[in-house]
Amino acid sequence: MTVISVEGVTKTFGSHDALTDLSVQFDDGGFYALLGPSGSGKTTLLRLIAGFEFPTSGRILFNGEHMEGLPAEKRDVGMMFQSYALFPNMSVFDNVAFGLTVRKLPAAEIRTRVAEALELVRLTGYDKRRPHELSGGQRQRVALARAIVFRPRVLLLDEPLSALDKALRLGMQVELRRIQRDVGITTIFVTHDQEEALTLADRVGVLRDGRLVQEGPPKQLYERPASAFTATFLGEANLFTGTAAEGRLALPDGTLLTPDRPAAPADTTCAVRPERVDILAPAEDPGARNVITGTVSEVIFAGTSLHYLVDWQGRSLKVTATNRGAEGAAAGETVRLAFAPRDTVLVTP
Amino acid sequence: MTSPAKGAPGQAGAILALTGPAYLWLTVAILLPLSAMFYFSFLSEAPLAGKTGEWTLANYRAFFEQGFYGTLMLRSLRLGAEVVFWCFVLGFPCALVLAKSVKGRWREALFLLVILPFWSNALVRIFSWTMMLRGNGILERAIDWVVPGRFRLDIMFTYEAVVIGLVHSYLPYMILTCYISLQAVQDDLIEAARSMGASRLTILRRILLPLSLPGILAGVVLIFVPVIGSFMEPRILGGRNGTFIGTVIEDQFTAVFNWPLGAALSFIMLGCVGVVFALSRLALGRRG
Amino acid sequence: MRAFSLGGLGRVYLVLVLLFLYCPIIVMAVMSFNESQFYTLPVKWSFKWYGALAGNERILSAAANSVGIAVLTTLIASVLGTAASLAFFRYRFRGREVMQLLLFPPIAIPWLITGTAMLLFFFWIGIGRGLHAMLLGHVALALPYVIIVTSARLKAYDPDLELAARSMGAPPWMVFRRVTLPFLAPGFLAAALFAFAVSFDQFVISYFLSVPGTSTLPVEIYTAIRKGFTPEINAISTIVIGFSMALLLGVARFYKFGGERK
Repeated sequence: MTVISVEGVTKTFGSHDALTDLSVQFDDGGFYALLGPSGSGKTTLLRLIAGFEFPTSGRILFNGEHMEGLPAEKRDVGMMFQSYALFPNMSVFDNVAFGLTVRKLPAAEIRTRVAEALELVRLTGYDKRRPHELSGGQRQRVALARAIVFRPRVLLLDEPLSALDKALRLGMQVELRRIQRDVGITTIFVTHDQEEALTLADRVGVLRDGRLVQEGPPKQLYERPASAFTATFLGEANLFTGTAAEGRLALPDGTLLTPDRPAAPADTTCAVRPERVDILAPAEDPGARNVITGTVSEVIFAGTSLHYLVDWQGRSLKVTATNRGAEGAAAGETVRLAFAPRDTVLVTP
Repeated sequence: MTSPAKGAPGQAGAILALTGPAYLWLTVAILLPLSAMFYFSFLSEAPLAGKTGEWTLANYRAFFEQGFYGTLMLRSLRLGAEVVFWCFVLGFPCALVLAKSVKGRWREALFLLVILPFWSNALVRIFSWTMMLRGNGILERAIDWVVPGRFRLDIMFTYEAVVIGLVHSYLPYMILTCYISLQAVQDDLIEAARSMGASRLTILRRILLPLSLPGILAGVVLIFVPVIGSFMEPRILGGRNGTFIGTVIEDQFTAVFNWPLGAALSFIMLGCVGVVFALSRLALGRRG
Repeated sequence: MRAFSLGGLGRVYLVLVLLFLYCPIIVMAVMSFNESQFYTLPVKWSFKWYGALAGNERILSAAANSVGIAVLTTLIASVLGTAASLAFFRYRFRGREVMQLLLFPPIAIPWLITGTAMLLFFFWIGIGRGLHAMLLGHVALALPYVIIVTSARLKAYDPDLELAARSMGAPPWMVFRRVTLPFLAPGFLAAALFAFAVSFDQFVISYFLSVPGTSTLPVEIYTAIRKGFTPEINAISTIVIGFSMALLLGVARFYKFGGERK
């Protein structure tokens, strides 16, 4: 199958750099998510891999083979578009068969393979329908079947789930994951939805302003964000800024925090996830945990969890607690917040 | 102004006051004249200057009895088909380049340039070709300059000259209608086809042409109908070879003064156009 | 990158088509400045033929007629057409669709037939030919265009804008002047310019309805061409085409063809 390597790619539109010296490798059979806010260059990277655009400098390799000057139609890439881009003038069958017809396969084989693909996406029997006669979820399945039926070297998905409502989206995520495992195709998935990226992918790459900020397995990215941006873009985080003092971080008010690893002299910032922060009971012993004291300003009830906003040094810290039915802290109460050193992650600002 | 509302009391008066004048005008200047013409086409002579025509089918019969009119009708239909053909062949690629290959401010400017002649004076544009086409005209001199020698172009006052002039007149219609429908084809569709390995030709044949068919057909109708009824263009560029059904109809009204015959020929012409469209619709419908 | 790029070939093709469209017009314009009557080259620049125009009574009076009829047509067709499109926008009533459908025959039927039908009918009922008959015809031809163009603009109008303005306390006259009118004005202006262009460039209808001696510019030009042309025709034709192109540029300013802007 296919390993895709992006090596030092820069893409310039006019005077604007959409991507700057970006290198990343997509492993064979992996499910890779490119995550970033709009304008971060994730879609540009996808279009470069697809062959709709060409890098201004740098190289893109499929299994070590240089793709320079090879346009999309010669790259063997399956692509699914945000709009699905189903051909409105063709039936579902003709849409799915398109890539096979173009490759001039015998009619009998086309029929078998289209039937297989439609079965894979659970749309058997829909072959005569027109795209406008399908629901949003069905259209998306057709688009997926169409993108994989000709066994492309890589499957590219451009925000494929963003047009669906939430319930449908969750269903499709499971479905997409199943199909990707069945087919075993290298898959690159562009999204701005961090939850989707974490749920679906084996590896996630976070992009910002045309650069790859961090990449790795979802758990590592969430637990050990390297930068303040990753920490706040992937989920929520409370950021503390201070100065390094003997491996610890001294906050402006004098509090000393013990981070996950000894702080180097240059370290100034650490991030703490709201759900890793506990509100201590009045006499509770924090043990080895970091402790700060603040005043609860607001309690937000969200069903399975409770969100607290705690005023500390003129800032608002977020604390999330599982709703266990017990009486928690009330607004106006002064509380002690505790978090373990391993959850106090040093990040670049 | 308020949002569209349904049946409020007293609105009938308002509707009448607002639409009445415009539709009265259209009735007097379009609807009644066409009806009167239809009436005249069944009379033996125009009921003018104290004369009274009698009911007759002779004017319609004349068309079928005298082969001359039939031949001219066919000649006009052929002219229409040829002009439509060239307009499509020249115009569709042009619309395609404009809609899918040029972007931004350039596209807007080029598009405006293409449709600028669309409304500008048709007569003057036809006239401007006389200088290009006549013997020792600009075109001939230009060719002579490139390929010196005794090469005579001399197509002024020929059937070809009429075709050139009409294609020039109506080409912007085809570009406009094709452009509008091509612009509505999302780029995603083209990129999807490319990702599946389709060549440009395949994309053109299987996606762009089928999806812009409504625009092409609109262009065909917009061009075919007025070309069949053209008389000024053949007169200026065709000279003695510029006799078509349109010029014959004009003659009945301005030279021969046989208005009932002119009226009958007009309706036969409209009928022929209708038949042509009905047949082509049938042919298209059968295909898909 | 363009979705369906044809590269340089596409540009070259576009330029060739533009050349085909503009070459004769440009040649005509250049020749109108050529002193020689026999189109000899190189061009010897002169305003001789434009000077001759100034002394040509027939052309001058035809030009006056053309402008006069076009102005009247614009006024009448704009008022009547706008009124009708307002009715279509505001009310749903029986016969509305039929009335809207009736707008297409005047556009679709060849002008030869419409023109001869007018000639025949006006003669028959005693209206006769002449400037008044031309005006009748021109307004009828311009009306469908006016109604279609203003209706398109009205359709894009969101009545919530008015409600929003009123909710903020604006009195009705202010809502109309500050919200409604500014939104609709470009549509009305485009429609008016359309009407003017339809009338000013109209040849066929005018040709059948004119009486010798009183006609419009296109008819006068046609008569002159049929008689055998002189560079004077080039001069007046150049003026006419320059004028109508300027007019279209005016329309384009207010009316985006083919939904160009997104």
